[in-house]
Amino acid sequence: MARSDYEYPGYERSGVSYWSKTTVLYLLVTAGALWMTLPFWWTLTTSLSASPTAATVSFIPAEFTLQNFITLWERPDILLVRWFLNTMLFAGAVTAFNLTFDSLAGYALAKVDFWGREKIFLGFISTMMIPGMVTLIPVYLLLVELGWVNTYQGLIAPLVAQPLGIFLLRQHFKSLPSALGDAAKIDGCNEFQTFYKVYLPLAKPALATLGIFTFMGAWNNFQWPLIIANDAEMYTLPIALFAVRNQYFAEWGLMMAAALIIVAPVIVAFLAAQNYFIQGMSLSGMKG
Amino acid sequence: MATEPLQSTAERTAERLRTALHDLKGYAGITEDQNNLMGFAFIAPNIVVFSLFLLGPVLFAFYVSFQEWSILAGAGEWTGIGNYVDVLEPLPISYADGSLQWRPEVFTDPSASLWWYSLKNTFVYAIGTVPLQIFGGLAVALMLDKRVRLRKAYRAAYFMPVMLSGAASAVMWRWFLAGDGVINGILPTFLEHNWAGDPGTALGGVMLMAIWGGIGSNMIFFLAGLQNIPEELYEAARIDGASRWHRFRHVTWPSLGNTNFFVFVMAIISAFQVFGIALVFSQGGPVYATTTTVLLIYQRAFEEGAFGEGAAMAFLLFLLIFAFSYYQYRYREETEVDY
Repeated sequence: MARSDYEYPGYERSGVSYWSKTTVLYLLVTAGALWMTLPFWWTLTTSLSASPTAATVSFIPAEFTLQNFITLWERPDILLVRWFLNTMLFAGAVTAFNLTFDSLAGYALAKVDFWGREKIFLGFISTMMIPGMVTLIPVYLLLVELGWVNTYQGLIAPLVAQPLGIFLLRQHFKSLPSALGDAAKIDGCNEFQTFYKVYLPLAKPALATLGIFTFMGAWNNFQWPLIIANDAEMYTLPIALFAVRNQYFAEWGLMMAAALIIVAPVIVAFLAAQNYFIQGMSLSGMKG
Repeated sequence: MATEPLQSTAERTAERLRTALHDLKGYAGITEDQNNLMGFAFIAPNIVVFSLFLLGPVLFAFYVSFQEWSILAGAGEWTGIGNYVDVLEPLPISYADGSLQWRPEVFTDPSASLWWYSLKNTFVYAIGTVPLQIFGGLAVALMLDKRVRLRKAYRAAYFMPVMLSGAASAVMWRWFLAGDGVINGILPTFLEHNWAGDPGTALGGVMLMAIWGGIGSNMIFFLAGLQNIPEELYEAARIDGASRWHRFRHVTWPSLGNTNFFVFVMAIISAFQVFGIALVFSQGGPVYATTTTVLLIYQRAFEEGAFGEGAAMAFLLFLLIFAFSYYQYRYREETEVDY
């Protein structure tokens, strides 16, 4: 963390110039923060209003009511619990698979000296450039052949390994000293034990960062579930929101309540892990 | 350089250590074959997933792009580059005295060719959002890297839009920008307007939403980058009497080289692929005003079932993104600064 200017000789921490600069700085960050959070406030107030309109909602809810949330809960065609569990299962499984596969590959590409290692790594990384839309059509056809359309395995399978995760974890394992592994091997560990018992525990910050990223990405993923989940039973929350959007488009209170339900779990998770997150980012090779 | 002998001494020591360890490996019972076996065992799951869901599909998409391929009937007639011609053709083609004429209206008139029109929308979107997402993120990171009170609360506030799914934020912004929406509720009457429903402002609405959602994630990348700049560099600059601007220009900015590259390439690639927010916000309308290239591909392939043409368009987009990334990579190699 950078030391502040006022710890240096010749820097005054008082006077008109200092206070005016500080005021401008705070005005700027506060204005930006308001722009970022005000939409959430509007969403909250709208979701708590009965039949909201522009004239009645902006900063406080008009005719406060919980009816929108109750309606979401009670309407027979809105399978809220099912969709929530679908999203949990989808995002959870994708995250678990990514952490496992990417840490295995990242470790091998950083610490195991095997044939063609650098070329394979470059191959993995260059797949990042393939836009999702190119593979979407054939992957869909493949899953039709397998009969995996509208199934959990169809939702999860194509997303179980991603090149960005391999990259991040390889960088992290590279930054750990090789002597640790050599010592473990002299003590009789095999390659897998060295990975699992020595290096993996040291990679926790990087794993946490990758885990949060992957979970958020899957929780909010729109493109893939839109293609593969066509039955209401298999919707994830974002797809469900898109589907009911067409039916209840004018019912803004309902739509805002649904939007809040999608974002709430992620916000809670982020606030709990905030410190870990930025720390892990700078440890995991996303360096400047 | 004064550091060179020291470095080569270190390298020689490291080399000796490596040789010693290599000899040791024989004793620990580890051979090269075992290394190869373990290495490939560790990456096997990824190889399977990538070949099944990335490389195989890319090759297959290339094959499909030369055919008529419908969602119901499967493979149809082999048409060669027919799909590509259909996509790129400014329709209807106008021949003046038998030659193909360049028609600039393909970029403005949706009835000419939706490919060109969607490309225009995508470029407008990219040019309007990417710089603001990046420099906004950098500015916020610089402000919040200092000893601002409540730093954590501010960071969380800026990060909140990032956590929201594209679908949810599109629904939210649609309500803010609707004719009876919240924005009009706080605007004076003479400025009221149906922002989302007017072809002239709908794409602007999508862009506003994207900038709102993009600043926070770039802020996180820049904050991580800033934390990795050694404090000694600033100390030296301060002792030399460098002003705040000079410290930024000669220490912070060059030290963020890799972060800048990463953030810029990611922002451009995701701008070229924007899809979900446009689909939920306005389904490409009104009058194709928010039809981006990927949204057009989705509609052709999955709504109209023309997989062949969709695949051809996806490949053309792939070429664009690849050309851009390659250019960036080369440019970076030339300008990279080493310390």
